[in-house]
Amino acid sequence: MDFDSPEEIQEFPGLYASEAADARSKKSKEESDFSEDHDHSKKDLLIGRRKDKKEKGKDRGYAALEGESSPEEELDTKSPSKSKKSKTFKFTSSKSKEKREKSRDKEKSERETKHVEEEPPGKEHKAKEKDRDKEKEKEKDREREEQKKKDKKEKGDKKDKAEKKDKKDKKSKQLSQQLDEAEAEEVLALGYPVFGVSVSLATERSRCHDGVDLPLVVRDCIDYLQDHLKCEQIYKIEPIKTRLMHYKRLYNNREHDAAVDELNLPTACSLLKLFLRELPEPVLTTDLVARFEEVASHPKVTEQQAELQQLLEQLPKCNRTLLAWVLLHFDAVIQQERYNKLNAQSLAMLLSPTLQMSHRLMVALLCHCNSLFADVKLIKYVPPLTSASPKLPDRPEEIQVELRKQDSLLAQIHSEMNAGFITKKREEQLWEVQRIITQLKRKLRTFEKKQEKSAEDVENSSMPRPAPEGEDRTDSKPPPAAPPVVAPATNSIPSEEPSNPSPTDFTIDPSTGFIVLPRSNPHRDTLLRLQIEYDELMDWENELKARILAERNECYRLKQLCEQQQALNSQAAATGTEPVPPAEGDYERIIEHYTRENALLEHKKQMLGMELKEERRACIALQVELRLKQF
Amino acid sequence: MSKKPTAGPALHKVIMVGSGGVGKSALTLQFMYDEFVEDYEPTKADSYRKKVVLDGEEVQIDILDTAGQEDYAAIRDNYFRSGEGFLCVFSITDDESFQATQEFREQILRVKNDESIPFLLVGNKCDLNDKRKVPLSECQSRAQQWAVPYVETSAKTRENVDKVFFDLMREIRSRKTEDSKATSGRAKDRCKKRRLKCTLL
Repeated sequence: MDFDSPEEIQEFPGLYASEAADARSKKSKEESDFSEDHDHSKKDLLIGRRKDKKEKGKDRGYAALEGESSPEEELDTKSPSKSKKSKTFKFTSSKSKEKREKSRDKEKSERETKHVEEEPPGKEHKAKEKDRDKEKEKEKDREREEQKKKDKKEKGDKKDKAEKKDKKDKKSKQLSQQLDEAEAEEVLALGYPVFGVSVSLATERSRCHDGVDLPLVVRDCIDYLQDHLKCEQIYKIEPIKTRLMHYKRLYNNREHDAAVDELNLPTACSLLKLFLRELPEPVLTTDLVARFEEVASHPKVTEQQAELQQLLEQLPKCNRTLLAWVLLHFDAVIQQERYNKLNAQSLAMLLSPTLQMSHRLMVALLCHCNSLFADVKLIKYVPPLTSASPKLPDRPEEIQVELRKQDSLLAQIHSEMNAGFITKKREEQLWEVQRIITQLKRKLRTFEKKQEKSAEDVENSSMPRPAPEGEDRTDSKPPPAAPPVVAPATNSIPSEEPSNPSPTDFTIDPSTGFIVLPRSNPHRDTLLRLQIEYDELMDWENELKARILAERNECYRLKQLCEQQQALNSQAAATGTEPVPPAEGDYERIIEHYTRENALLEHKKQMLGMELKEERRACIALQVELRLKQF
Repeated sequence: MSKKPTAGPALHKVIMVGSGGVGKSALTLQFMYDEFVEDYEPTKADSYRKKVVLDGEEVQIDILDTAGQEDYAAIRDNYFRSGEGFLCVFSITDDESFQATQEFREQILRVKNDESIPFLLVGNKCDLNDKRKVPLSECQSRAQQWAVPYVETSAKTRENVDKVFFDLMREIRSRKTEDSKATSGRAKDRCKKRRLKCTLL
């Protein structure tokens, strides 16, 4: 029984509705809390694993088997459910319904255009608007035609596979149409939407697993648009509404599959805009947006930048990231003005309402964005591999990177499932991701072992052959089988890179688990440095986390102490000053004194905290240098 | 869970449970890759897939090797829910691991809500018979009490390793055909009831 089938959902609309409401009101917080915990534990686990690896250094129990049956088999067993899923559509529409829908669509679009026209209209703008209307009409005509075609096809022959593309288009339309029929708003099967929730929640619910804290939908849209900057239609043409809603639903239900559902230009533009528009508060946050606006009206450009910078630092991290990516992308758009005819002014005209900021502010941000977000680079997202991917990476560095992604994905699936987001598909994904992680870990282990073996071979080169140790004998494989496995592998690597004199590409430091490239490699130092830095930072993070916990406990203790003290104080004051009736002012003065003192201490504490951070940073830098010397 | 009408080979999902260090991973790796791992490395969770021939029919087995430690209990439930059959492993040289099987059984029944879920009680490390701490009779009586088969295995010598996996797959398979045969309303009702319970949880 498919639990996530739409029919099932329609059978219990109340059930799901209440879940959805819950999600928005109460659960959202719980969920985010939970996943934070989860993150934490995950990191601990990661560290644990690394330690394991160290201990595992001398593991020889595994035979260095290649060509495990798992990966290849995954290929041909590729999710039957997925292909099934996309065909679950039931064709229910009749012509009259379509017409009704058409007219509804039309009304909507008319309303929209009217709405736009009410806003500051330049002459050019109006002309564009008209163009757009025309285009829309054209599009609608096309749609109608397609619809007719589709009807014919449905009646005639369902198995017709002649026009694949057409059919794909059709399918998505049908799906969304079905949705429209079921409910004017899209059905939220699981009640944990990505659209219409806060930036932080959206980011958490649909992560990019490569460490960039951006909602996946935003990332995908920007990735797509960055590849189509020179298109003249960019940000000018509206997509077919049903198509847009279809994509919204896919992302809301985390069902988007980049391989199947490829975006197109108008959809990508509008999906990004839709996401931004539906944010419950502006990206710049309700608290700060007024101050941003204030700064934007600042006459001096140089001061403006500094002040914007200051304000940006006050934004929540995920808001800042989102803003950075969106603005850098917009900046990239206007860099191609020659092709797409959009400059800062006109782009801000189109998009400042979406970002819920004034035209002036958006232009200001665009003007400064490169220096404001010098730390951010738009990197194309490579999602975690799936069993459909051709093959797992071979190089240990790539494996490490992929493992990190998969771990992040796994953590997200677990936290979502623990929060009640359970579907058959999700469960399947859970097993699949787990399987990939297992494969990756095995691969990594095989590499480590090979590394050790080859190192051993070098050491014992004077001896005819390293005598198999006791552990090896427990292996079910006969010992002679192992050396031949090693030999061709070590030979094949230099043949791939003839310029490389060393027998292997890299070594894995047995005590730290670091990947060490040969000295001739120009990236050696960088890679090593980054790894050491990563290690140090992780240590720091854990230390800080432990301290936060300790501080929390201390906080609680102090609070209690404080209460006691207060009681005592008032008692003492009462008894001590009894002969002379204390003026109300005395208490007030005491209170004032303490408030002032506390504020001062708070300030001092902050300064010291910052100093501490700086010192620690310097420490880490030195530590990195020190450890680097050891290699 | 009921069977879906798949075109490809049937897929059976097996989950290994049991205390830490009893040899769940060793059994799995022996079955998957014919290898025996001497040294102990705690598992968090690992998953494997293998194509096997079960009574002349090509099927796939998904094996999920779980953590024995309580620390991972939170994520374990997510896996239990999707498992179709369970190998509950203990070590015959360790009485505590045998006692722990009771708890694992209860956890599985709580999640699956199904007394007759395909399940095997597995006493591992039978090559260490001289160090046996759990008498055979005790194991058998517990299995009888649960109405499940009891098998002793050795991941080291590969004794009965294939047997436990194949026996379990057979149970899962017969369970699935049973479920799909019962197309009457009664079966559907039962499914729905289970479904409702899940969402309420």
